[in-house]
Amino acid sequence: MTDSLTIRRVSASPGALIPMDALRSAGPTYSKLVDISKCIGCKGCEVACKEWNDLGVEPTANFGSIQSHKDLSPKTWLLMRFNEVEIEGNLNWLIKKDACLHCEEPGCLFACPAPGAIVQYTNGIVDFNQENCIGCQYCVTGCPFDIPRFDASTRKVSKCNMCVDRVESGLEPACVKTCPTNAISWGSKEDMLALADQKIETLKARGYDNPAVYNPAGVGGTHMMYVVPHGDRLEDYSLPADPTASPAPMTGLVFLKRLGAYLMSFSVIGALVHFLAFGPERLEE
Amino acid sequence: MTVATSETKSRILLRFTFFERIIHWVVGVTFVALLMSGLAFSYPALFWMTTLFGGGPAARVLHPWFGVAFGIGMVVMIVIWIRDMFLDDGDRQWLAAVKHYALRDADRVPPAGKYNAGQKMFFWFQAVLAVVFLVSGVFLWFPELFTAEILGWMRLSHYLATLGGGVLLVVHVYLGTVAYPGTARAMVDGTVTDRWARHHHPRWHEERTRSELL
Repeated sequence: MTDSLTIRRVSASPGALIPMDALRSAGPTYSKLVDISKCIGCKGCEVACKEWNDLGVEPTANFGSIQSHKDLSPKTWLLMRFNEVEIEGNLNWLIKKDACLHCEEPGCLFACPAPGAIVQYTNGIVDFNQENCIGCQYCVTGCPFDIPRFDASTRKVSKCNMCVDRVESGLEPACVKTCPTNAISWGSKEDMLALADQKIETLKARGYDNPAVYNPAGVGGTHMMYVVPHGDRLEDYSLPADPTASPAPMTGLVFLKRLGAYLMSFSVIGALVHFLAFGPERLEE
Repeated sequence: MTVATSETKSRILLRFTFFERIIHWVVGVTFVALLMSGLAFSYPALFWMTTLFGGGPAARVLHPWFGVAFGIGMVVMIVIWIRDMFLDDGDRQWLAAVKHYALRDADRVPPAGKYNAGQKMFFWFQAVLAVVFLVSGVFLWFPELFTAEILGWMRLSHYLATLGGGVLLVVHVYLGTVAYPGTARAMVDGTVTDRWARHHHPRWHEERTRSELL
């Protein structure tokens, strides 16, 4: 399965909202599947991400959690969040692999005003192209998962690129490769959905009442999906229950911009027509 | 009909002081720069206009600073002009006859003071839009401090103000330049001719003439 980086969407282009892969036969569409029930919290994926992407070390300090860093940053594209939640009298670590979910309908790309700064490939990866980024941070506004991080010194935004350079060469992302328990799986979206169903059955057999697949419809599904043991506690995992790529103000903005283009154009045309009808005023004495 | 003497014919009146002209052009130049860079961010087809500001990243850095200068200019402008901008009964008659103004039927347009009702309305619209621009602009300047939902509404408000301000600018520039020759010089050297003042702002002309006679 070779994987050319065929473009599906480009930010700030007329077709940003309309996928263009119908023009060419699309290659495979990939997805990660993160089975949180199999994560042992080793953070090997964090290290692999740093190493493969040459992101460098960010010193951190103990802040009362097993979590390595408090938050994502321009140099930390993957963070295992360890939310401490009490369930039936027992302390539980509700772990979330916090990184870009690579939405099928990417809110960041829809919000971006810089042509080509964000692209989506037919393989499902949403990638930031820093050379075209103008540093406005509208992608931060558009992302329902709070993933992109702005670097004030370079005035560029960055995030997980799903190891696009590895995927292009037929390899799995670094976090998948390194995971010692196979908590992260990699394959075609269909295969991962089928695998997720199996995992749900296994979890039910193990006594979990509400295991769930996290593949939210509001963003058209994602290319990093989760199997969540406590599917009724999405918020406790820091997973928004109902994320959307087109929130109300953005939908309104798309409409207003179209209306505005007409109104502003017509005001210029109107002034021209008025001038042709009446010309410059001449004062008679 | 009054007979114009050669003296009144060539007489000029000061309409805007040097300070008023400076403030007007601070607001005008920054507003055009803001509109051009802002439209570039709003419409991919106009993104090329960022080149005029040194490219996309430079335009993004400059835009809020133009906004600061615009905001300061607007505040000063509002302070120095606001007392001339309240509508009186004459203005309401003018507004009721705005159709005749648009159709150049000068005889049916009630006499205006220093500013006609259209100019006064323009002032108030721009003052309100400036508040919307500045408040929403601060949010968009520091997006990391606010939630995505708030920022979404701020983008919507900022654009709505752009739409209003853009249309008003076209009308303002058209009327102030080619539509009414002799008007633009009021914002260059500050003066207008006696004839222009008598025609466009008869109540102001009368006031000025009377104060000179006294």
